[in-house]
Amino acid sequence: MTSIVKSIIGSFQGFPIDPFLLAVLAILVPGIIIFLIMAVNALIAVYFERKVSAFMQDRLGPMEVGIFGFKGGKRFWGGIGQTFADAIKLLSKEDIIPNDADKFLMMMAPFIIFTGAFLTFIGLPISDSLVISNFNIGIFYIIAMSSVGVIGIILAGWSSNNKWSLYGAMRAAAQMISYEIPIALSLILVVLVSGHLDIHGIVQWQADNRWFILHSPFAALGFIIYFVSVVAETNRTPFDIPEAESELVAGWMTEYSGFRWALFFLSEYANMLIVAFVASIVFLGGWLSPFQLIDLPFIDILPESWLILDGTVFGIFWMFVKAIILIFCMMWFRWTFPRLRVDQLMYVCWKIFIPFALANVILISIWELIF
Amino acid sequence: MSEYFIEIVNGVKTFLTGMKMTLKHYNNKEDLVATLQYPHEKWPIPERNIGFENSEYNLIRSRLHVDIDDCIGCLQCEKVCPVDCITIDTIKPPKGTDVDFGITSLDTQKKMLVTRFSIDMSECMYCNLCAYPCPEECIYMVGGPNEHKHEIDYEFSQYKRDGLIYEFAEPTDAQFAEVGGEAYVESRQSQKQKLEDGANLEGVFEEEKKVLVTEESEKSAQEEEDSGLTLAVFNDVGDKPARGVAKKAFQAAKRGNMNYIAMADYVASAVDDAGKSSPEMTAAIGVIKNYKDEAVTEEPSAPIVADSVGDVIEVASSNVAEFDVKSLNAIEDKMSRGIAKKAFTAAKRENLDVNGKIDAIKLALNEAEKMTRDIDALLSSFFKSSEPTVEVNPVAPVSEASLFDIKLLNDIEDKMVRGSAKKVYMAGKRGNRSTLEVVADIRKELVGSGMMDDDIDNLLNELG
Repeated sequence: MTSIVKSIIGSFQGFPIDPFLLAVLAILVPGIIIFLIMAVNALIAVYFERKVSAFMQDRLGPMEVGIFGFKGGKRFWGGIGQTFADAIKLLSKEDIIPNDADKFLMMMAPFIIFTGAFLTFIGLPISDSLVISNFNIGIFYIIAMSSVGVIGIILAGWSSNNKWSLYGAMRAAAQMISYEIPIALSLILVVLVSGHLDIHGIVQWQADNRWFILHSPFAALGFIIYFVSVVAETNRTPFDIPEAESELVAGWMTEYSGFRWALFFLSEYANMLIVAFVASIVFLGGWLSPFQLIDLPFIDILPESWLILDGTVFGIFWMFVKAIILIFCMMWFRWTFPRLRVDQLMYVCWKIFIPFALANVILISIWELIF
Repeated sequence: MSEYFIEIVNGVKTFLTGMKMTLKHYNNKEDLVATLQYPHEKWPIPERNIGFENSEYNLIRSRLHVDIDDCIGCLQCEKVCPVDCITIDTIKPPKGTDVDFGITSLDTQKKMLVTRFSIDMSECMYCNLCAYPCPEECIYMVGGPNEHKHEIDYEFSQYKRDGLIYEFAEPTDAQFAEVGGEAYVESRQSQKQKLEDGANLEGVFEEEKKVLVTEESEKSAQEEEDSGLTLAVFNDVGDKPARGVAKKAFQAAKRGNMNYIAMADYVASAVDDAGKSSPEMTAAIGVIKNYKDEAVTEEPSAPIVADSVGDVIEVASSNVAEFDVKSLNAIEDKMSRGIAKKAFTAAKRENLDVNGKIDAIKLALNEAEKMTRDIDALLSSFFKSSEPTVEVNPVAPVSEASLFDIKLLNDIEDKMVRGSAKKVYMAGKRGNRSTLEVVADIRKELVGSGMMDDDIDNLLNELG
């Protein structure tokens, strides 16, 4: 199993190149790739979100801004250039830091949150062997890195020297730490069954057997628990109490503007993409084609990969299709449900998800013993 | 315990209900969308009925409109308007003249020229009183029963408040001339001039003027390129550097206003010098040599001037090329245009130079009594442009008679000082004074008010 870093280093093996330079190259290239993915994802996802929300509320959403004179159609592609214009506006805005704020921490916080999202991408494959670096503890690494963001949020809330920010940060910390438990417990199911912490191994197991969500009813329940908890982990409605507009202005982001706020936004949408990727890798077969599930009668006539649309290139396609469907579901949640109260939020986590997830772990072990 | 599970089941149920609801709205958007894309779409005006017969009353009072072709200038609407928002000016033709203004759609003979018909909609109170006395039924509220006459306009959106003053009468200068309204035109133009002078004093509009100038020059440059031979002849030449050399030489020759034979020789020598000659190139040069168009026969004098005098005349002689039959198309009146063109071709046949041609045209127009202010201005503009020293270098020769340009005063940084300097300048201009006198006046004024400093002193020294 190769990775991007390995192939970069390997391709320079015959050349007399300074090892230091090689290291810089091996760091820069994946870094730029990750940043591009995050930026493009944010641009597209924000537009997608605005359109989905508009349609669900019987509006039209952005309809006026085009790109290079292309204004899109009458409905979905109507304001295709809107997020580009917004991004330019954000980047050219003044960077305001309040007088009484803890300036150093306040400037640091967005970068810590951004780093959390950024580092997660290192272990996250986009397709078969298209991964920056392949760990043998991939799942563990992703869980660990996605909780780095909490530190940034607490820092942002504390350093802003603002009631709303601090309230928001405290709520975010409580919520994110609580919901990490059901997430970890439902990801453990796949580790238990497949015997791999390594992401490539997990997908390979699914290729050999079947998609993990179809493994047993407990796995399906695990998927539901994971997906709902993940919505809470990314602070999205209906679990958006940390930045509840009607109560806390904008929560821990209240005092931020311009580029730093853009970093928050970037990492929020990057986190959405990350959790959607992880869900599709662990439960929905990752880069495997869904046609593998169907037993096609004429599969012997043509080369298999023709019909199934499998392989590295199609792997990217399937990964993104699955991720986009899941992201659409998250947007769908957001524009359907009202915000939960703080106690309801904790009730759902501690009294429903954690007991069910624990029971799930035990029951799936028994299932494995029996079958 | 059972309550706990019932709650979970209820939660899942309501969850699914909500999701179904939003998905329905997401899919079913065609007929549910509430957004109106305002500037592109507009709500229709609702029909209103205030209890009278629909056909007899203008129910929707939206905006006044005048069918100016039907207006006879009776001033009834102006008199009846309670808020005086209608202003009408008319000119009667002098007695004895026989001018036909046409008839209205109700078969009334029009007897005067309506020179101005303006309605200030920011003052209008929508009483509709002006519509009743009109004998020709030419002023009315748009929309409603008048929908077939004029489309409804309920927004009145304008970028400036002036935009709400709607002008309906826009007579042409020819029409003015017909009824002997020169005095009116003059007074209107002097008013315009005053406004412009005021704007000049304040230092606004300078940028706009500059933009206008560049646009005009671009246009003339384009026209020049369009006429006659272009660089396209060299496009057959395959060798790129050779093409470049040839094109450069061609452009230089064109700027020097050589005739085509001289041009071809010049290009050929340039190509030979660069050692780039080829069969295609010789063919292209041959095309130039044999090229004939009217421009050459029209101005046999132009290349000679270009050869004898240096760079200064070059620009001027390219201006000469601009004066041809086409530039006479700017004359509006058909008759006078015809006379002018006839005179032009006659002058061309006699091989007169540009000034001679203009003189001939002027003479012909005067004989036919068709000379107007506009035509005179148009012709003199060409006349001027053929005097090279004035055109090329307006600043250097400080002649006693001509005054320096007011734009030169813009170098003064302080707004106050600039304003007072310009005021003195305008006064001097009105008094027909020379540059030296005006500069002395400005100096006196500034020293008197204590606004003089070294920079301005230097500037004034340069001017005078």
